[in-house]
Amino acid sequence: MKTTRLYLSNDTSSLAAGAGRLADAWSGRPEIQLIRTSSRGAFFLEPMVERDTPKGREAWFNVVPDDLPRIVGGVGGTPVTGIPFLQQQSRFTFANFGITEPLAFDEYQTRGGLKGLAAAQSLSPEAIVEELRISRLRGRGGAAFPVWKKWQVAQQTRAEQKYVVANADEGDAGTYCDRMIMEGDPFRLIEGMMICARAIGATRGYIYCRYEYPAAARAMRFAIQKAREADLLDCDDDQFELEVVVGAGSYVCGEETALLESLEGRRGVVLAKPPYPAESGLYGKPTIVSNVLTFSTIPNILAHGGAWHATLGTEGSRGTIALQIGGRVKQPGLVEVPFGLTLHDVLDRFGGGMAPGSRFKAVQVGGPLGSLFPTSQLDIPICYDAFAEAGAILGHGGIVVYDHETNMVELARHFMAFTADESCGKCTPCRVGSVRGREILERIQSGQGTSEDLMLLSDLGETMKTASLCALGGRAPYPVETAIEHFGDEFRQGPRFVKPA
Amino acid sequence: MTTHHRQRLAAALETCRPVPPNKPNILKTLLVVQSALGHVPTNAIPQIAQVLGVTDAQVAGVLSYYTDLRIQSPGRHLIRVCMGESCTANHGGRILRAIQDHVRVVVGHTSPEGRFTVETMSCAGNCAVSPTVMIDEDLRGRVTPSDVPPLLETYN
Repeated sequence: MKTTRLYLSNDTSSLAAGAGRLADAWSGRPEIQLIRTSSRGAFFLEPMVERDTPKGREAWFNVVPDDLPRIVGGVGGTPVTGIPFLQQQSRFTFANFGITEPLAFDEYQTRGGLKGLAAAQSLSPEAIVEELRISRLRGRGGAAFPVWKKWQVAQQTRAEQKYVVANADEGDAGTYCDRMIMEGDPFRLIEGMMICARAIGATRGYIYCRYEYPAAARAMRFAIQKAREADLLDCDDDQFELEVVVGAGSYVCGEETALLESLEGRRGVVLAKPPYPAESGLYGKPTIVSNVLTFSTIPNILAHGGAWHATLGTEGSRGTIALQIGGRVKQPGLVEVPFGLTLHDVLDRFGGGMAPGSRFKAVQVGGPLGSLFPTSQLDIPICYDAFAEAGAILGHGGIVVYDHETNMVELARHFMAFTADESCGKCTPCRVGSVRGREILERIQSGQGTSEDLMLLSDLGETMKTASLCALGGRAPYPVETAIEHFGDEFRQGPRFVKPA
Repeated sequence: MTTHHRQRLAAALETCRPVPPNKPNILKTLLVVQSALGHVPTNAIPQIAQVLGVTDAQVAGVLSYYTDLRIQSPGRHLIRVCMGESCTANHGGRILRAIQDHVRVVVGHTSPEGRFTVETMSCAGNCAVSPTVMIDEDLRGRVTPSDVPPLLETYN
């Protein structure tokens, strides 16, 4: 009997959408060979099954077990190149997604993997940093700091031991691209970290992965083992020691100093900077802490040159951004595009409109600390400068759409409660401010709010923004204030509010 | 702690004893203890501190800081309902209510027969197929309130 090769994603979200049930139902079927790949990120189509045709892959969407005969018979498939959600993207960092088996090292190499590392090995450490300067890459974790500056400091600081740390504590609600990379293309992260190790002279590395991502930690450990067996971790005459460390559920550990505290086994509290980790980080040694996505962007930059990267995007934001669309849209999923599209374009072209029965109310960009945008502000271009000018952040690229049923007072309370729960307690504005903020919002929610409460909330917000030690306290007021700014009427309910004459 | 627990604790701690030049790592040790015992009993703090060469307060400080370190074992199955922004936007609150109604416990508690512990989580990274419920290590997406009873029936 002829065996048809089918491709099915093994990504956590694909499994959550039912891919595992397909694999179980079809196991032992002699007519098919099931290859478990990463996900293309078009999660609204998952579980999605693909097969080869002379014209490339064809896909079947939202598949149920009984669809197998149709798929094997080649009936009703859509060419992958005919999926607009995917075709309108510019996939560079996510080029392998949906195509390769995540842990097949040979496939990674066949599709251009390790070219960046090879290029780096032919360059001096200074030349690698120069390539990054030309690329104008900024950190993708949220702070958007120029990557080359950090690397230069670590490179120029003399120490017998230096460290490379991948920040895989992807805590921003609404984001999942780091998880996808670790599960779906783990060798890319390792390659990026190896390039950094060579540039700064580090011989040890850690991937600090959040507790909520067990599959990602497993995939990374397998990939590190395979990389070691393939001698990929050899650097000059030394071995690069790379280890996955799992956290224990703390949002603040995504902040670099708190992450390093946690890596040393202590409470993950934020430390005052300077000194910056690039000078004095893990165990007091020079340490580069960068986001998973940042490291994973670097192999292509070294392979194609910094100048190539600098041709993509906008003036202050070069390259592509991985947007993760979620909430009440028809087409949630991962979108890699050059910086510069407007928020409206992204929602329109990729989000595909609102979920059935929903009307748009607001969109939040940048995770739980990101600002809310109403319909009237959707023409903002997605780039660091425009967002900074609007007092907003791109964060880690999370976009969450809320519908008409969303209660803005409850949502604002939810944001403040999140900060109160997650505050590390180191600085007073965040520790106390977030609790007081939550209490004020609870008072408003109970119908006992007054105009003074809104003024108090605004004063409190100013204090938190100016005096907090890190972005948790410093950004927490923004989603609340933008909710009040655009949906103020919902906050001014109750008998104690003085109605305007 | 039972004798059985004490033995497992001692065995787990042996693997965490710091060998110079390595420094003691409290968090890593507590995760090892938790994976051996299901939780970190507070009366084990002095022994943990002694093995690591740190103070009781340092151990207690780390233990109380991290959400995923537990001082009590959860029920046979741990249900975590995601309250991240995408799940919230997709009315994850309704799923939480359906689960609480079905299991008859409120968030943070374990059902009397010890079958389920119900908790919330701040984001499972499953936002594109939200709302999300995580039961033990199984992640379920696009959950509706009517999915809850049959879903929970499969866990005993």
